[in-house]
Amino acid sequence: MTGRIRALLRLFAVQGSWNYERMLGVGMGYAAEPLLDDLALADPARHAEATVRSAEFFNSHPYLAGLALGATVRAEYDGVPGAQIARLRTALCSPLGALGDQLFWAGILPGMLGLTVVAVGMGAGWWPVALFLVVYNAVRLYVAVWALRTGMEAGMHVGAAISQSRLPVLVGLAGAPAAFLIGAAAAPAVRWVLGPLDALTAASVCAIAAAGMALGRLAGPRFAAPKFALMALGATLLIRWMIR
Amino acid sequence: MSASAATLAVLVGWGTVVGLDLVSVPQAMIARPLVAATVAGAILGDVEAGLRLGVVLELFALDVLPVGAVRYPDYGPATVGATLAAVGSSWQPALGVATAIGLVVALIGGMTLQWLRHRNARAIQARAAALAAGSRSAVRTLQYQSIARDALRSAALTGLALLLADAALRWLRLDEGTAVALTVVAAGAALSAVVGGALRSAGHGARVRWLAAGGALGLGLAALA
Repeated sequence: MTGRIRALLRLFAVQGSWNYERMLGVGMGYAAEPLLDDLALADPARHAEATVRSAEFFNSHPYLAGLALGATVRAEYDGVPGAQIARLRTALCSPLGALGDQLFWAGILPGMLGLTVVAVGMGAGWWPVALFLVVYNAVRLYVAVWALRTGMEAGMHVGAAISQSRLPVLVGLAGAPAAFLIGAAAAPAVRWVLGPLDALTAASVCAIAAAGMALGRLAGPRFAAPKFALMALGATLLIRWMIR
Repeated sequence: MSASAATLAVLVGWGTVVGLDLVSVPQAMIARPLVAATVAGAILGDVEAGLRLGVVLELFALDVLPVGAVRYPDYGPATVGATLAAVGSSWQPALGVATAIGLVVALIGGMTLQWLRHRNARAIQARAAALAAGSRSAVRTLQYQSIARDALRSAALTGLALLLADAALRWLRLDEGTAVALTVVAAGAALSAVVGGALRSAGHGARVRWLAAGGALGLGLAALA
């Protein structure tokens, strides 16, 4: 197995040691190890420095971490001064985080899940869930391979490579379909979960949903949806017990 | 439904894999409640009950945008364990109780994620000298130990959810009307989570219009279903 494939596989565990001190840093060091093997033979002193740098603080979206990994490893082989590599690594944190969050966490993932929930809600059974896993992971694998390859090819010019790629365009396009599909998923999901609804049940569901959203808006993130749900479930138990 | 020891062991194994998937490895989205519950339902011999619980908890999970170091519930292992309370009986009275178990354990799971992150940071501090010296074995050890810690955390969470589900099945005696009311409340709260979260994410621009258009289509589809 080549160093690049081993690094690619290790990138799937880049958040394995996620922490508040170095964030993805140690995971990046772990993924960089097979790529730096040749440097150990050519320049052992440089290899030791590169190993230290590879495990320092780093944070980004995990799926795009390969861009930074490839670019910094290439820069190590190119003999770029260490301070410059450290600056590149720091400079990539925010853009890779923002691009990945917008593309995956706020775009592709909720969009595909919305579509899956619509399909399940329309009575398609479990197969949309399997299809979601296959398609999502195909996209994820493609992005991981592309990111590492692009980083390795571009080195210190990785910023230009990202801006010339389709990534920024896709980020701009991903949000609207995701919003549409999430909007489309809500009603069929509830309809499928509860089965045919009479008017009283439908009105109850809508009233609870409206109360939850109003409380969430008034109380902010400290009063998250699961807390509202547990409070509402507890209140229901209490009311039913008092009625009995 | 009572499950055999072998089935429970398989569920703990699945919950462990699911818990690892959320952050540590490989982030393949098997930690999504929809996936975790469907497979747990298949393990327990009732895919549809798993799917139904998965849809409800997925609506809650869609409220979460896991950006940066944000704190969020860990729905995966919670969902796997809670599925035990949702299968084998009439789904309508079982779903509310199963959802409650899933939410309680998911919130506890969110707290354990904070513990894990602090524990990993302490482990790194303990090996700071080795890391500063460029020790490859220190990097590997930290990585493997952190993943092992997350695996233990996930297994424990799944076990807790299974215990709660088993206790509910054994000792919780609700009349049909109360149990169905809990299911209706759970569905309403799930709806508030997904719509509230989508409105927050959409902001005030074009995405709100896309969300509204999707909502209109969804209402149409629900009427047709």
